[in-house]
Amino acid sequence: MNQPYPRLPGFKYFRPDSTREAVEFLSEHANQSRPYIGGTDCFVQIRDRKFLPEYLVDLKGVAAYHRLSFSKEGLLIGAAVPMNTVANHPEIRARYPVLVEAIREVGGYQLRTRATVTGNLCNASPGGDTIGPCLVYGTEALVAGSDGERTVPLTEFFKGPGKTCLEPSEIVTALRLPFPPKGAQGVYRSIGRNKLGDLAIAAVTVLGYPETDNPSGFAFKISLSAVAPTVIFAEEAQALLAEEALNRAAIERASDLCARACKPIDDIRSSAEYRRDMIRVLARQGLEETCKKLGIVI
Amino acid sequence: MTTKERTPNLIGSSPRRVDVFEKASGSAIFTDDLQFGRGLLYARVKRSSLPHALIRSINLEKARALKGVKAIATGEDFPNRVGLYLKDKHIFARDRVRFVGEPIAAVAAVSEQIAEQAVDLIEVEYEPLPAYFHSEDAVKKDAILIHPDLDEYETANFIFPKGGTNISNHFKVRKGDPDKIWEACAQVVQRKYYVPHVQHVPIETHVAVAQADRTGKVTLWASSQSPFAQRGLVAKALGLSPNQIRIIANYVGGGFGCKAGLTMEALPIALALKTNGRPVKLRLTREEEFFTNFVRQALVIEIKLGCDANGNMLAMQNTMYWDGGASTEYGVNITRAGGYSSTGPYDIPHVKTDSYCVYTNNTIGGPYRGFGMSELHTGIEQCVDELADAIGMDKVDFRLKNIVQEGDILATGMKMHPTGIDRCVRKAAKAIRWGQKTAAGAANKRRGKGIALMWKAPAMPPNPGSSATVKLNEDGTILLGVGGQEIGQGAFTVAAQIAAAELGVPMDTIRVTGPVDTDYSPYEWQTVASRITWSMGNAVRAAAADAKQQILAIAAKAWDEKAEDLQLVDGVVVSRRTEREIPLKDFAVYGIPNEDFSGWTGGPIYGRGKFMPDYVTGLDPETGQGERAVVHYTTGAQAYEVEIDVETGKMEILHAVSAFDCGKAINPDLVKAQMEGGLIQGISSAVFERMIFKDGHMLNPSFVDYRIATTMDLPDKITSIIVEEPQDDGPWGARGIGEHPMVPTIAALGNAIYDAVGIRMEGPPFTAEKIYLHMKDQAAQKE
Amino acid sequence: MEKLAITLTVNGSEEELLVPPNLTLLHLLREELALTGTKNGCEAGECGACTVLLDGEPVNSCIVLAAECEGKHVETIEGLAERVGMRKLQEAFMALNAIQCGFCTPGMLISAYALLQRNPAPDELEIREALVGNLCRCTGYDRIIGAVQQASREEEPA
Repeated sequence: MNQPYPRLPGFKYFRPDSTREAVEFLSEHANQSRPYIGGTDCFVQIRDRKFLPEYLVDLKGVAAYHRLSFSKEGLLIGAAVPMNTVANHPEIRARYPVLVEAIREVGGYQLRTRATVTGNLCNASPGGDTIGPCLVYGTEALVAGSDGERTVPLTEFFKGPGKTCLEPSEIVTALRLPFPPKGAQGVYRSIGRNKLGDLAIAAVTVLGYPETDNPSGFAFKISLSAVAPTVIFAEEAQALLAEEALNRAAIERASDLCARACKPIDDIRSSAEYRRDMIRVLARQGLEETCKKLGIVI
Repeated sequence: MTTKERTPNLIGSSPRRVDVFEKASGSAIFTDDLQFGRGLLYARVKRSSLPHALIRSINLEKARALKGVKAIATGEDFPNRVGLYLKDKHIFARDRVRFVGEPIAAVAAVSEQIAEQAVDLIEVEYEPLPAYFHSEDAVKKDAILIHPDLDEYETANFIFPKGGTNISNHFKVRKGDPDKIWEACAQVVQRKYYVPHVQHVPIETHVAVAQADRTGKVTLWASSQSPFAQRGLVAKALGLSPNQIRIIANYVGGGFGCKAGLTMEALPIALALKTNGRPVKLRLTREEEFFTNFVRQALVIEIKLGCDANGNMLAMQNTMYWDGGASTEYGVNITRAGGYSSTGPYDIPHVKTDSYCVYTNNTIGGPYRGFGMSELHTGIEQCVDELADAIGMDKVDFRLKNIVQEGDILATGMKMHPTGIDRCVRKAAKAIRWGQKTAAGAANKRRGKGIALMWKAPAMPPNPGSSATVKLNEDGTILLGVGGQEIGQGAFTVAAQIAAAELGVPMDTIRVTGPVDTDYSPYEWQTVASRITWSMGNAVRAAAADAKQQILAIAAKAWDEKAEDLQLVDGVVVSRRTEREIPLKDFAVYGIPNEDFSGWTGGPIYGRGKFMPDYVTGLDPETGQGERAVVHYTTGAQAYEVEIDVETGKMEILHAVSAFDCGKAINPDLVKAQMEGGLIQGISSAVFERMIFKDGHMLNPSFVDYRIATTMDLPDKITSIIVEEPQDDGPWGARGIGEHPMVPTIAALGNAIYDAVGIRMEGPPFTAEKIYLHMKDQAAQKE
Repeated sequence: MEKLAITLTVNGSEEELLVPPNLTLLHLLREELALTGTKNGCEAGECGACTVLLDGEPVNSCIVLAAECEGKHVETIEGLAERVGMRKLQEAFMALNAIQCGFCTPGMLISAYALLQRNPAPDELEIREALVGNLCRCTGYDRIIGAVQQASREEEPA
């Protein structure tokens, strides 16, 4: 039993105003400090005494992390940009609707004033709502650490439940999302215990776009959430939909492949059986809806 | 003065609640809002980490040495056992712990943080004992005794513990002889259901501040439904007189029963006795609220129900094992209530009920909205549905054929009073369009309808009293004193309405004095059992009548007229005979001067009233028979239309209908508000809620994994129907409504699900996953 | 624990305080400033009883550090009482009996107020979504949603 604790434990608060300052501090106090942005996961975990950092490092003091901008290549979301800001941005709503759909599923509105997409990724829950959409959009994490800066494709970012590739001194400073392929359409479909606001018991993200190189004429990216140690791509399903004519039967088979690709567990939230079956349903619904948006008659 | 009852305009109207401005502005004071200054100490509690163990040692040395720690209390300080109906609980565990979370010690320190650090420094050595987490295991013949001294426990005379077992109460009903009748039944259905533990989840967790002064007086500020009952229990625990204890109860941020009785409040009191006058506050965290205080007992219920070829119910056998948890000082009465109401609202000639309260090493079961009725009806109403099917009758018709009517002899031998249940059933069925199948919205959806009935009596000792006072101020305004608590149900508003109506004054001249303060407020047994409008309402009416009688007597004497020729209308005394008038504000405190100022007539006016039922009789311990088991029954029905997505198991509630007989809706909008709120809490308990335990540890003690209904989980349409069949001794015929709207919900939804997709589950919650997997199983079996 | 000096504006009034780093905004309001209208329901960002406006946006104050509020504007139920938009909401809540025990009410009103500020004419689904992070155990929510709809349609109160 976890002794239930009121309030947060004691810690020191440090608020760097530059990446350099942040990285230096985190290197110097490696394993004793925890960087955070929105605090919506971090504070809850600390109150539960899951970890007891001596220092909490508030990254919101770095002005650059609040940037939200478009360039020729795509979208840059600074680490400290709250989810509501992302989801309310008209151009993001137009270009990355699947990410916006996923954000809607996270907690409640007041939580999303503080929660960030970067934070959601760094928390690395196997079912984090924004992870699937970020993956299908080909997101890269811009990382800064004592060894300098590097760019990590999100496909290499997650190592396990709650685990990322970040070293103790490293932080994500921004997310870079390339513009989606021309004509891309997609959906985020999740199922929780309540109708909205619950974490995902199972979720599927679909992004489809015209791809003349493929026999089917289209390419699909499908990611599965809450059914493996990390969010995963349904590669066999993706391959099938690249090769075969897109019709109901193909979608059924692709959904089956999604169900087979996942490795769900039983826990207090749901059973492996239900999760697997729901992946099949959500994949089918997600693919049908995406095809409809793409103008494909199935 | 005419003796004919004329309902004044206020009764049956819905004036604005008297407390809403405070609450809307954020200025309403709840217990944690009280400011105590820098001297306030904070308490934290060392809790058992094992479900059942002997305590070998408790080492307080390191905790005591921590700077900022001012006092530590343990079971050494409190040898007395406490309890409302059965004294089986210690404030702190003494020789053994019986559930995870049980208090072993408490620390008062200058901050919550230091108190928490000190708690972590307390070392406890345990010797684990075998533990039981299911009532069916704890009643087995060779089960270890969780309360070996059960025989020695003091108990109310209507509770029957079985020493040498884990059964702390066994309530029996023996009416007729079901065993001789089964053969005569054309159809018999026998089913077993499991209702899991749920928690009340008040948005305000428990909080209490205690202070003991040098004269030996103890003051407690608590979020409490029961300040007077708590005062009595604290007195017994400490060996004090109630005169030495004062309890002040501010607004309660949701109770639902969990803030009745005496629970965590004892802990800061224990500490306050050691802090030399400094007040001590304990506020439960949300996690603690979930599993350390009160929960709703889990129930295993096995029902056998039979009827004749014409659909007349002939016999019921009902065996209930209530999981009372580690202490059943309150839960024993739930067992009893479940027992005497065990037939549900039906006329059944042969009844055999055995209702057992069973000790387990789970969290303490206590009063929860419905007091056993939700759990009971979850079994009865699904069983009734199945029997209707078996006999080939429509489920509404089958119920109408068998429901109780005025004059029926109930299972306990009590004669049923007039009741509107027939109207409730018919109106609910009509509103849901019973019998009409509507097409589902899509190929993967299935629709169904379900109905369930209920009844409940206030579960109380036979002598629960209410009292009220009416004090006039010099400007004719009124301070209405009550001991019942405003826990959100609107008690203060209804009290003001009743007083204003009875007196004949505008409602806005009445202020209900809060917080309830046992030093100044008149006595009220507890704010539970849906008894306040009825019982406290009677007391308020009597106090108002008493004040009015004094008022009219003063004017009559001053005018040399007869009191029966005078009336009080809108705050003005009027003579029907002479048309003389005098407003209250001209004489309410100072009286009326005689002619030529040759003296005065009158003086301060202080009305008082009380109510206590005097007709409840005991019940035979072997048969449960007695002339009057309860004061009255509130009855009702709920019906649902649902649509289930067969691909996911997700259930949409298209329409939810409630129809309840509250006797007389004093404030109809508040009655409907109770119906709606109870409906949603019922749906939440039917669809989402379950305390998940592993080896006595609750795995989901937070909102993340204990899900409740949110704004997105509501029925598409809600209909609330008030039926009024007056209660002979209620104010203007009123009886209670607070608990009832969540009682039939689980069963009604279970019945609707069956109608939609043909599956029955052994118990709630009817989650999407459960519905889906049951359908999957059923489909697999068909192949 | 060494304390931090912070200056923030609460309900329009500047406050200079010395606070421990682990003090949350919720406790700063309730304990340092005796603004007890904001309630503590779970301390985990789940129930919404602690909702306040931080620089005009609704947040769960139980998971915001006081230290993070340096230079920021906080508005609580007490401070918003003068705003026309809030008075309309309060009046609608009272008129429709959307209040029972009252404990969720301040947080609910603030979430609703923030909604109407950003979306003056929400439909029913938008209202439900905006309030999904505010738990109520007493009312069953329908009247709350109705009150928000009414407030969004009302003329200014007298």
